[in-house]
Amino acid sequence: MQYPRRLPRFEYLEPKSLTEACKLLLQNDGKARVVAGGTDLIPKMKRRDVNPRALISLHGIPGLETISHSQVDGLRLGPLTTLGAVESSTIVTERFNVLYQAVQSMASSQVRGLGTVAGNLCNAAPSADTAPALMVLGTRLKLISPQRERTVAAESFFAGPSATVLEPGEILAEIQIPEVPRRSAGVYIKHTLRRAMDLAIVGVAVAITLQDDTCHNVRIALGAVAPTPIRVPGAEAILKGKGRSGDLFRRAAKEAATACQPIDDVRGSADYRREMVEVLTRRALEQAWDRCPGSTEGKR
Amino acid sequence: MKEYSVVGKRLPRIDSPAKAMGQAKYAADLVLPRMLHGKVLRSPHPHARILNIDTSQAEGLPGVKAVVTGKDTKGVKFGGWRAFTQLIDQYPLCMDKVRYIGDEVAAVAAVDEDTAEEALDLIRVDYEPLQAILDPEAAMKEGAPRIHEEVERNICWSRFIEFGNVEEGFARSDYVREDNFSLQTQAYAPTEPRACLASFDHAGRLTIWTSTQCPYPVQCQLAAALGLREGDVRVVQPFLGGGFGAKFELFPYEVCCSLLAQKTGRPVKMMYTRQEEFSASRTRHAMKIWLKTGFKKDGTLMARQARAVLDGGAYTSFGPTVTFTAGFFHTLLYRLPNYKYEGYRVFTNKPPSSGMRGIGAVQPFFAGETQMDMVARDLGIDPIELRLKNARQPNEVIPKLTTVNSCGLSECLTKVGESTRWHERQSKLPPGRGIGIACAGQQSGGAFNWFRTRLAFSNARVRANDDGTVVLFAGAADIGQGSSTVLCQILAEELGVRFEDVSIVAADTGTTPVDIGTWGSRVTFQAGNAVRAAAIELKKQLFAVVAPKLNADPVDLDIKDRKIFAKGRPEPSMPFPEAVTAAQAANKGKILEVAGSYHPEGKGIVSPAYSFVAVVAEVEVDRETGQVKVDRLTVAHDCGQPINPMSVEGQVEGSVHMGLGYALTEQVVSEKGEMLNPSFLDYRIPTALDMPEVKIIEVITDEPEGPFGAKEAGEGCVAPVAPAIANAIYDAIGVRVKDLPITPEKVLKALREAQPNS
Amino acid sequence: MQQRQRIIELNVNGETHTLAVEPQRTLLEVLRDNLGLTGAKRGCDQGYCNACTVLVDGKAVNSCLILAVRAQGKRITTIEGLSHNGRMHPLQEAFVNRGAIQCGFCTPGMVLTAKALLDANPDPSEMQIRRAISGNLCRCTGYVKVVEAIKEAARVLKTGGAA
Repeated sequence: MQYPRRLPRFEYLEPKSLTEACKLLLQNDGKARVVAGGTDLIPKMKRRDVNPRALISLHGIPGLETISHSQVDGLRLGPLTTLGAVESSTIVTERFNVLYQAVQSMASSQVRGLGTVAGNLCNAAPSADTAPALMVLGTRLKLISPQRERTVAAESFFAGPSATVLEPGEILAEIQIPEVPRRSAGVYIKHTLRRAMDLAIVGVAVAITLQDDTCHNVRIALGAVAPTPIRVPGAEAILKGKGRSGDLFRRAAKEAATACQPIDDVRGSADYRREMVEVLTRRALEQAWDRCPGSTEGKR
Repeated sequence: MKEYSVVGKRLPRIDSPAKAMGQAKYAADLVLPRMLHGKVLRSPHPHARILNIDTSQAEGLPGVKAVVTGKDTKGVKFGGWRAFTQLIDQYPLCMDKVRYIGDEVAAVAAVDEDTAEEALDLIRVDYEPLQAILDPEAAMKEGAPRIHEEVERNICWSRFIEFGNVEEGFARSDYVREDNFSLQTQAYAPTEPRACLASFDHAGRLTIWTSTQCPYPVQCQLAAALGLREGDVRVVQPFLGGGFGAKFELFPYEVCCSLLAQKTGRPVKMMYTRQEEFSASRTRHAMKIWLKTGFKKDGTLMARQARAVLDGGAYTSFGPTVTFTAGFFHTLLYRLPNYKYEGYRVFTNKPPSSGMRGIGAVQPFFAGETQMDMVARDLGIDPIELRLKNARQPNEVIPKLTTVNSCGLSECLTKVGESTRWHERQSKLPPGRGIGIACAGQQSGGAFNWFRTRLAFSNARVRANDDGTVVLFAGAADIGQGSSTVLCQILAEELGVRFEDVSIVAADTGTTPVDIGTWGSRVTFQAGNAVRAAAIELKKQLFAVVAPKLNADPVDLDIKDRKIFAKGRPEPSMPFPEAVTAAQAANKGKILEVAGSYHPEGKGIVSPAYSFVAVVAEVEVDRETGQVKVDRLTVAHDCGQPINPMSVEGQVEGSVHMGLGYALTEQVVSEKGEMLNPSFLDYRIPTALDMPEVKIIEVITDEPEGPFGAKEAGEGCVAPVAPAIANAIYDAIGVRVKDLPITPEKVLKALREAQPNS
Repeated sequence: MQQRQRIIELNVNGETHTLAVEPQRTLLEVLRDNLGLTGAKRGCDQGYCNACTVLVDGKAVNSCLILAVRAQGKRITTIEGLSHNGRMHPLQEAFVNRGAIQCGFCTPGMVLTAKALLDANPDPSEMQIRRAISGNLCRCTGYVKVVEAIKEAARVLKTGGAA
């Protein structure tokens, strides 16, 4: 049993640009970690789960805390944009509400004031709350390294528990969320034992766009029920082009439950998780549909 | 109802401003010059023989000042249950064997925390792992490996209670039912991780500032463990960040810290990490209870039989008391003619279990009060009516055990029913919503001398100064429950001075008289009686001096609002400071200081008085997810005369919070003896968003044994919360969960079992 | 060892302190061990209990999770900085008078969290109060009187009782 301790010694590096940060990462040959909010990394280091030789702080680099929005580019978040900033952003609440729902469900107000969205992604916990929300928003992630710049879809970013597709020297530089079509709505349901300060037993995010009375587009993403947060395209396919139907919601929810690969842990059993995926996916679909402007329910 | 000047007032606590401003110093906040930092090396094995310990590398690390192992100790065991020597069973540092993951193996002192932590890595311990015994039922089997060599079948303590004749009682019953209940391990989880600071003077006398609820018992045990005289050990309690029973005994790390201070000649501080606080302290006993109860058709309780198996963990701790009270509490609430109980506390290779808020009460009350609900449904009697029919009344004797003086249980039931519109709502709420009731009672401290002290359980001294100020010296420890404020209120009331005239010095064995400590809701009642006795004695001395000056007989004098006068004649009067001056002068300048004490002599073997409580829970259950939401808890509580109603409410609200966690979310999860959730993230005490509305109804009785009619307050309110919620869940969805905590998974499972086809 | 230390300036409760610290020191450790400001409590050291809450540039954050070197140049307020010359802030007064303090270990973090809330939202609903303090774990009060105290302080502050 490893008891948490004081932090181990490390070198603290404060680059002045993202390029310099990438170079420092490369130079330290996998033994350095980028630190943004530190809310995941610092406790891990106290527990000696990770023991980096150096921490590369991004806080000396100006302009990384942005939340910018335009009709063309959609919403862009910087690598140091905190969860708290996203939570209190009017544009997020109004237009990207599913992200707000995810963020406000996380940890404590104090941790949200320090922790970042980018950090939540890079930490790559299977239960990361922002991941399903960003996935259903069609988010792309800009990754930069001294050699190149690329963007990946949010659902392609994760490689396993605590693992991402980031290559040596690569840093998540921007979170790019496309503009949400007009008749859309999103819902994030986080299933926990406590109503705050808890990790998801299951997290379900749904975003629906309506056209006339049918589902023009739908995305469904799940957290805490697979080695990484996942999309469930099989479940989405059931609904596309179809009208509102409880039966279809149930079929899609069942498909989501079949597609996930949960495990037993202290928070819940695999069977319970699978069952909750079905229940909560159905509920999220119903709620999201009815929240879409112009839906039958929404008109009421 | 008597009208008091200070008692019964909602006074802010005397220590709150210091706490609000961050000035209050807790043990971890203390610093002494040249202080070293200590750390403990703990066993990674649940059960193993220690073959060898090599500390040489650790000793060689720069900055390390001392390393100690069992060989450096006196090799003397300690334990609180000194009434029976076989129950004294814990070494400060393990000698030959480790008995749980977390058992203390070695300790270091170094110039800073980082060095001390590093040194732990350099201590080499060779273990021979032994079979770990984790299930108490298995541990009780003949031939099971022994955790303590001298203890047969690993049974730490067994306790039997019997009165009447249960066989006859069941035979004469129209209806008998048996149920099995399972109660989980609960963590105390005080917000302050414990800490201590030990320092020796040049004469070899020890002062230790430590996070404790019981300075005097710690003083006695620490002296024995170190081979010192009790008078050479001074235990001081700084501000304490919550106890609930967790900080009630001497702990090995306090001995280690003292040893290291002795060895290095420098002060040493040790602080638990949160993980240690969870996994290397104490827990509430997990328990399996079999309960059989018989009734007449009309609801008359005829007989009850219970068997409890307690998971004791590795050492005795306060377990014997819990083994007893877990049997006693089945007899408290209702008139019971025939009763039989057998309780077994069994050693396992887990952290020791002890007495936690609602000591030995929450487990039997969950069983008894859940079963009561089932009985009511089966007999077609309203659950409140069934309870009222059998409810304990004032001045009743429980055979061989105790006498209940004041008792407001019936009034609690009636009032909580009225307040919640019970009869209109029970069984009549929309699907998924339910309402449930449960009761409990709690002792006002213990009467049995388990610590085998020769001194009265509570002592107090009161000093009156000629400027009108009064100083109270009391050994009783305020652990956040507000006892120092309450004791000052009792003193001011009895002495006829104002609250602001009184100050207190408490919980320091060097300056305050002996008190057996803060446990079992004893302080207001027992220390309060000691304080009141001292105040009465002080008045007697003052009145003897003042009487001639007021042309009155001393017995006719009274004091109110700092003035002494003859009863029924407000003038002439003498101001209190003037009276103190006169008393000093009459005794050649001797300080006016008196002592008072209280000991529960001749009060049976349980307690001198009992509080009672009835709780109604209102819940919503999500049938698809199994989630339970508690909307409101209504608590009717008979605590005698509340000394400080605001503090009583605070105690009730805190107890309800702890009961809510016990019911729904709190559980120590372990695998192979290792706690898997030793953090505030994975061990879920309810947050501000989880707490329902709490409505409190005061039921005031006058307890003849208590100071100003007071008795136990608040602690009793932990126990009824879980059964009230369980009964409300039944009302909502028609299923019973008989093992705690009631997780969503268990609710779904129960629903599925009730309707196998859905 | 010596070269590992950095010289930082910390502005705490309006005073500037020049300190030599190693990078692995948390703000909590520096406040408690270097500056003797023990009002911030080490309750879990993992960011789960929030007894270590302090205000950094007016925001409530966990001092156990933030490196001291990162706090350089920021405005830090600890519980010791909330009262002035022994006069309590209305929040502290409300906590005292409403019985919101029992063992008191969570109190400094709770009060500062409430301060950050009321600074941003002078008229919070009960749900907003509960959400704001939902990370501040308390084992004594059931939060009932804490919520009442914050409501009362909000009323007092609105009517001009600011300290």
